[in-house]
Amino acid sequence: MPALAMRGIVKRFGDLVAIGGVDLELDPGVIVGLIGENGAGKSTLSNIAFGAFAPDEGTVERNGIVGLVHQHFQLVERLSVWENVLLGREPRKGWRLDVAAARARVRELGERYGLHVDPDAIVETLPIGMKQRVELLRELEREPAILLLDEPTAVLAPSEIESFFTTVVALAERGIAIMVVTHKLAEVIAYTSRVCVMRAGTIVARYETNQTTAGELARAMVGGEIPPLSERSPLPRQVLPILHVRELRARTGSDAIDGIEFALQAGEILGIAGVEGNGQTALADALAGVTAYDGTIRFREEELPDSLGPRGRMERGMQIIPQDRHHEALVLDWSLAENAILGRQGSAEMRRGQQIDREAARTFAQTIVERFDVRPPRVDLRVRGLSGGNQQKVVVGRALAGTPKFVLAYQPTRGIDVGATALVQSRLIEARNAGTAILLISFELDEIFALADRVLVLYRGKIAGEFNRDAFDRGRIGALMAGHT
Amino acid sequence: MKLPRGVRDAAIALGIIIVFGSLAMLLAGVNPLDGFSALLIGALGNVQETAETLVQTTSLLFPALGIALAFRAGLFNIGAEGQLLMGGLLAGVLGEQLTAPGFVTIPILLLAGAVGGGLWGALAGWLRARFAANEVIATLMLNYVAIQVAAYAISGPLKSAGGAGYETGELPAQSWLPTILPDTRLTVALILALALAFFLRWMLRSTVVGYQLRAVGDAPQAARRAGIDLAKMRFWTMAASGAIAGLGGATVVLGVLHRFNLALSPGYGFIGIAVALVGELDPLWVTVAAFVFGILQNGAIGMQAAANVPRDVVTAIEGLIILVLAGRRIITRNGSD
Amino acid sequence: MLSFLWLMLIKSAPLVYAALGGVLCERSGVLNIGLEGMIAIGAFSGVSISYATGNAVIGAIGGVASGALLGAILGLAATRFRVEQIVAGTGINLIALGGAAYGLVIVFGQPGASKEVNALGPAGEIAMVCLALALAGLLHVFLYWTRAGLHVRACGENPRAADVAGIDPLRVRFWATTAGGALAALGGVFLAMAELDLYSDGMSAGRGFIALAAVIFGRWNPLGAAAAALFFGAFEALQFTLQRTGIPSEFMQALPFVAALVALAGFAGRARAPASDGIPYTRAR
Repeated sequence: MPALAMRGIVKRFGDLVAIGGVDLELDPGVIVGLIGENGAGKSTLSNIAFGAFAPDEGTVERNGIVGLVHQHFQLVERLSVWENVLLGREPRKGWRLDVAAARARVRELGERYGLHVDPDAIVETLPIGMKQRVELLRELEREPAILLLDEPTAVLAPSEIESFFTTVVALAERGIAIMVVTHKLAEVIAYTSRVCVMRAGTIVARYETNQTTAGELARAMVGGEIPPLSERSPLPRQVLPILHVRELRARTGSDAIDGIEFALQAGEILGIAGVEGNGQTALADALAGVTAYDGTIRFREEELPDSLGPRGRMERGMQIIPQDRHHEALVLDWSLAENAILGRQGSAEMRRGQQIDREAARTFAQTIVERFDVRPPRVDLRVRGLSGGNQQKVVVGRALAGTPKFVLAYQPTRGIDVGATALVQSRLIEARNAGTAILLISFELDEIFALADRVLVLYRGKIAGEFNRDAFDRGRIGALMAGHT
Repeated sequence: MKLPRGVRDAAIALGIIIVFGSLAMLLAGVNPLDGFSALLIGALGNVQETAETLVQTTSLLFPALGIALAFRAGLFNIGAEGQLLMGGLLAGVLGEQLTAPGFVTIPILLLAGAVGGGLWGALAGWLRARFAANEVIATLMLNYVAIQVAAYAISGPLKSAGGAGYETGELPAQSWLPTILPDTRLTVALILALALAFFLRWMLRSTVVGYQLRAVGDAPQAARRAGIDLAKMRFWTMAASGAIAGLGGATVVLGVLHRFNLALSPGYGFIGIAVALVGELDPLWVTVAAFVFGILQNGAIGMQAAANVPRDVVTAIEGLIILVLAGRRIITRNGSD
Repeated sequence: MLSFLWLMLIKSAPLVYAALGGVLCERSGVLNIGLEGMIAIGAFSGVSISYATGNAVIGAIGGVASGALLGAILGLAATRFRVEQIVAGTGINLIALGGAAYGLVIVFGQPGASKEVNALGPAGEIAMVCLALALAGLLHVFLYWTRAGLHVRACGENPRAADVAGIDPLRVRFWATTAGGALAALGGVFLAMAELDLYSDGMSAGRGFIALAAVIFGRWNPLGAAAAALFFGAFEALQFTLQRTGIPSEFMQALPFVAALVALAGFAGRARAPASDGIPYTRAR
């Protein structure tokens, strides 16, 4: 008797068919993995299973309560842990909230599932791993028969992932039906009993986990072979670094770096590995010139004044690929051509006196479209209508145009499909080959391993270790990412 | 059939005017047909009235253009009324003193109007840039402060010989804006406003500055990372927005009243918001919208006189239009500050 | 000194009511620029209904109801139609002010001001001052000690999280805005019927906007906002005390607004609004 049975599920968003006929069953005590690349429909399917979305066709039968731990936490940051865990089901004493009972309940849950959190802590003060615990406790409080976990390990260090799955396995042993939605094949192989592969809105393959391999899953996910990356030319020998950072201290919100030093030479890709929230955003913002910092940044023999903003840095040959293309890189309602010149609109090439040179902008956009295979290849279309992968190609193409001296790439392939990922990564390698120095900040260790010549591990705002390409040690790096020395 | 948004919004505005106008007229014991015909005759019935409608159009168009400019940059300028007043004040006070010929004084006085309004707008812009003070409340507060400053100025230290109560004396005739239709109050101000509308449209669509302004309004974080100085852009946009409204105030002083009077605006700065919205923040469509609202403003007087419908109903209807057309997101709040 | 204190309370009471209304709305996630209009409509409706029925208390209730209606309109616009709330609030102000001016002619046959009506009298004035302060405490208890209040706060910070927890953010916001409108209208009732006994054009005189500044200055906290309202009201009371000195009346009249500006400038950077304040919520379905 399945705990959850979805049959014939179809879901459309306007013209887009997000789910095109899916059957899926979850049984008590069984951990099922749902894999697929970005845009395949995994999150939509989980939301339908949870009940947040209603399917346009098909049925969902649930034998018990469904809990969903979201990829992006749904917590009220300014409220306390107990207020979040018990939101909507708060204990009462007459007309008042029974705070003592609430606290006790949170502690009791913590005991039962081994997820201890201080009930009175305000959520926004907690580190990301703890926030995830709160999210999980909130779902467990309702005693679900079915638990859906959407990309649960995105914010965990490799060693934390193990203890997380220990908890998950224990929950399964209590009889909860569990589905883990992820794109991390190693975890699926290690922890699930069954795997379903989604592609373009349907389930294209189902396996018993012990009868398949990561390679077979990868091919099923992509529907073919993953295109190889461009070749790397040998690293040139150089004396002077193009970028030298010393004693850098900066803070963006709760993300901070606390005195780091590194050097980067032309034609090198330096990877910054680490779990999200250990200073990457502060580092990126300091280099981009959007946040104040202490310490020195030397670029091409010049010590940059810390008041130098993004424009000055761009004029000196620095380009940034921001983390969030929707809010930090693109103006969604503008055309591709107008977006292409964002940052260059005042330059001599793009203007004629006071006016924007529209032809030059379109020509420039056209070269990006061609080099990065942007589809549809029409520079007058609004960028909002492009897929995530194509939007990201515009952002990356714009940054790499003209072979800049330095590029900061912050999560350059976040949330885009495998094909676009391969293309972007190849272009980054080609830029490296042509002499661009690249600082790659990524939360995906695989990406760093594919691209970087050297890796620095960032933990709690400091550099915890450095590795050369010929000495990449996944286990060691993973340990450093979690703070083990 | 899916209509282009501008047409749809204009139709909605028209619908509101007809439906709620009729209701209000019925409540006042007036047949809507009588009421609306009184309105239209009052606005366009003869050359004189049409000219006066165009006068109202002009007085609305200036603040509406300033507001639209600010809205395009993501700034809520609710202070056009105060900026308009300050522009008028400066033009009126200075205008009484100048005795040079018109071709000298008029440009100076118009400039003074722009400066007065521009300073008032810049004040709000400075508060936003320097202190992160919400410009909605800042501009609202400054409206009331402007009234007091103007009242104090013209009844106190800047009191003129010819002035009485809350107005200045009459300006010398050479400083009056030349009329373009004899025996009416319609002046070259209309030409100036139209020219300004065309200029702003060109500026927003084709220039580098306009590109940057739109970026600040449409995607502030992306604009910032692309090297655009948000604080500077916002400050100067508020100043420009205020200057345009102030220019409008000056044209009322120089062209319509020929003196500064504390009550020179029946709420142009607020109605201008409705005009800017109906015009979809595009300077050319804002001009068309200003004409429609000019009909309402001028027609309301005739409607009250001929058909006994209280003219304030027009204000309420304008408010309803603002409410219903508030659909467009003016600012993108994605960690914009 | 005591008389100044009383004067301050009287001048602050409308601000307190409006500020509390603003706090409730914004805590649920709706920016209410329309407080000015809600004060005006409460004042006008209260006077008109008192005129029609001859009963001040019924008039007051009517005034509150009219504010609730305006609040409901804003709430609907904000939730169902997801409008730009600042613009919508501006529209509400014009509707109320124009509507009241128009109403003066329809109801009283004369523009500019109404006739004198049965009002709440000195006893009513004292009662309403006490009610204002009591409501500040009650709203505080509601927001921080009750379940419904917690839900309101959750909707203002992260409506999606509230939705996931089974709370309907659209409904919560609608009712919070309606209640907020009622509270603000109480300020108008006080203005027209406790302090005076008539309505005149423009009598709200920007109080609704000062109340907004009080909400920010008071950190979106009922007790804080009430205290801020008292602070701004003190400036208005000061006008009367300093009347006989040589200070020009215009300067005095500008004082509350300047005080609000200064408070805003000094404070705004550090104050944090509810995270979803002013942002319409869309349920992805």
